[in-house]
Amino acid sequence: MNLTVDLFASSHPGVRFFTVAALVVGLVFSAGCYAIHPSKGAGQTTFKGPRKMNAADVALPNGYVIEVVASGLTFPTGITFDAAGTPVVVEAGYSYGEVFTEPRLLSIGPNGTTRLIARGNNDGPWTGVTFYNGSYYVAAGDVRGSGKILRIGENGQKSTVVDDLPSRGDHHTNGPVIGPDGWLYFAQGTATNSGVVGLDNAEFGWLSRTRYPEFHDIPGRDIVLAGVNFKTLNPLTDDSEDTVVTGAYLPFGTPSRPGQVIKGRVKSGGSVLRVRPEGGEPELVAWGFRNPFGLAFSNNGKLFVTENGFDDRGSRPVWGAPDSLWEVERGAWYGWPDFVGGEPITKDPFRPPGKPALEFLLAEHPGKPPKPKAIFAVHSSANGFDFSRSEAFGRVGDGFVALFGDQAPTVGKVMAAVGCRVVRVDRDTGAIEDFAVNRGPVAGPASRIGGGGLERPVAARFSLDGSALYIVDFGVLLQSKEGSKPQAGTGAIWRVTRKEGHR
Amino acid sequence: MNAGLKLAGLCAITLFVGACASARRSEPITGKSLENSAGLSEGRRVFIQQCHTCHPGGEAGLGPALNNKPLPRSLIKFQVRHGLGAMPAFKEDQISSAELDALTAYLVALRRSD
Repeated sequence: MNLTVDLFASSHPGVRFFTVAALVVGLVFSAGCYAIHPSKGAGQTTFKGPRKMNAADVALPNGYVIEVVASGLTFPTGITFDAAGTPVVVEAGYSYGEVFTEPRLLSIGPNGTTRLIARGNNDGPWTGVTFYNGSYYVAAGDVRGSGKILRIGENGQKSTVVDDLPSRGDHHTNGPVIGPDGWLYFAQGTATNSGVVGLDNAEFGWLSRTRYPEFHDIPGRDIVLAGVNFKTLNPLTDDSEDTVVTGAYLPFGTPSRPGQVIKGRVKSGGSVLRVRPEGGEPELVAWGFRNPFGLAFSNNGKLFVTENGFDDRGSRPVWGAPDSLWEVERGAWYGWPDFVGGEPITKDPFRPPGKPALEFLLAEHPGKPPKPKAIFAVHSSANGFDFSRSEAFGRVGDGFVALFGDQAPTVGKVMAAVGCRVVRVDRDTGAIEDFAVNRGPVAGPASRIGGGGLERPVAARFSLDGSALYIVDFGVLLQSKEGSKPQAGTGAIWRVTRKEGHR
Repeated sequence: MNAGLKLAGLCAITLFVGACASARRSEPITGKSLENSAGLSEGRRVFIQQCHTCHPGGEAGLGPALNNKPLPRSLIKFQVRHGLGAMPAFKEDQISSAELDALTAYLVALRRSD
């Protein structure tokens, strides 16, 4: 429906006045009611299994077709291909909601059959996998221990390439991917949303895991604090009125002071690191990210990462922070916890409605953050991605990014489901276009809008020959004020190819 | 005045009905794309830089949908410049007058591309 007449063209003053008044009232009603509008997030629904799967419910640009490769998986998060081109996936073994299952590495056979290659040892979430020189490399978050990069032989034998990564918090060990230089690149997310341990971390679960209440963020290099502190209730005691004061990069209940130096280390949070595949000491590649989840090299050998932006939660909530696609520059600091997509967090758009403006946590900034190559919708959760490299698929050089979708209301309020699709990022302009989305009058996961389409795309990777895009679909994740409720056995793998005649 | 009231009522109804219509305009849904439309590239660039994160593709997200709001260009520009509710105002140093013209043209074209 389009209104093509210029409603301001009337010369009658009464008509103009009431027209403007009606439009303003309508605008306020439809757009200005954020404060009273209930959140309508992707997971704010109910679900009764089994999950329906119907490729016809997924819309693609003309010339492409999608099919289901496998279903019935539990929390799949990453995909790679063995030397023969057979898809191999990881099941995480852990999901938000404090649901622990068994991490698994599975080869996907014809007709969606699975063959177990290896299983984890209570060390989920396994968030990603890559195959290189006859071995699988897996990012194992191990939220009850410490993050690791595992090497798994085709016979299932495991060894540790890197350990002692700070992965007990909100975000985990991510990646990995092999670079053109033969190094293994991976990432580590931060412990917290915005640098301060708070009640949201108890709600996520990890602060209440009594083994590690002292856990906090660790920077990649030495930093100097501004001494900003936050007072909250203390959920770690039985006294419901007990309060604590917490500073940045410090354990819950530990205040900071101006000028305080926090020592950095290579195995830090919010960082991209690299290590030789055969093992050895890791190196810090870049830092100052929040949750760098997806890693991929472009066709000209540049490393890119997707970053999950700030949430509107915790002691230091940030509003309106988009996710980003970054080109990784060696040694650069990307701005967390004081910049959003290269912009100072003190700017008004990042102030949650009705709350005071944010302050910098750092007294000195380690550098000027770069600008992102692309920015995604707020709370879309831009995750695993890949670059097209074959004319058989088309759009060579463009990035294809899995958007997991919002976790409202936990991460903040949204007026409609965000993400839950695969988007294409233009290689030249950073413009973002939908690529694979569910059909229907509104967007969202199938569990919310009906049908048998996508739920929660968490990774996208091209086949060895580049002709097919595989989409890892985590499955149904319900979300409420009480937290996350992931649904085991609802994960799936999809495959997108280009129709003959459109190549 | 009667004519004014009637038109105002019509506008209010139009806004209400428009708000109920689907806001989905992306290529997979409509089979059409404005990606290479002549004369819209600058507006598209501004939209992606300034609007897309809260109104992805003109759909609802953090903020409300745009594609199903039949606002005249002048009111679109007014809201961009002055903000509304949780939406911030975008001043000249963020979106220039020429960019605002281009953005408005893109928003209208996007709305009509269903």
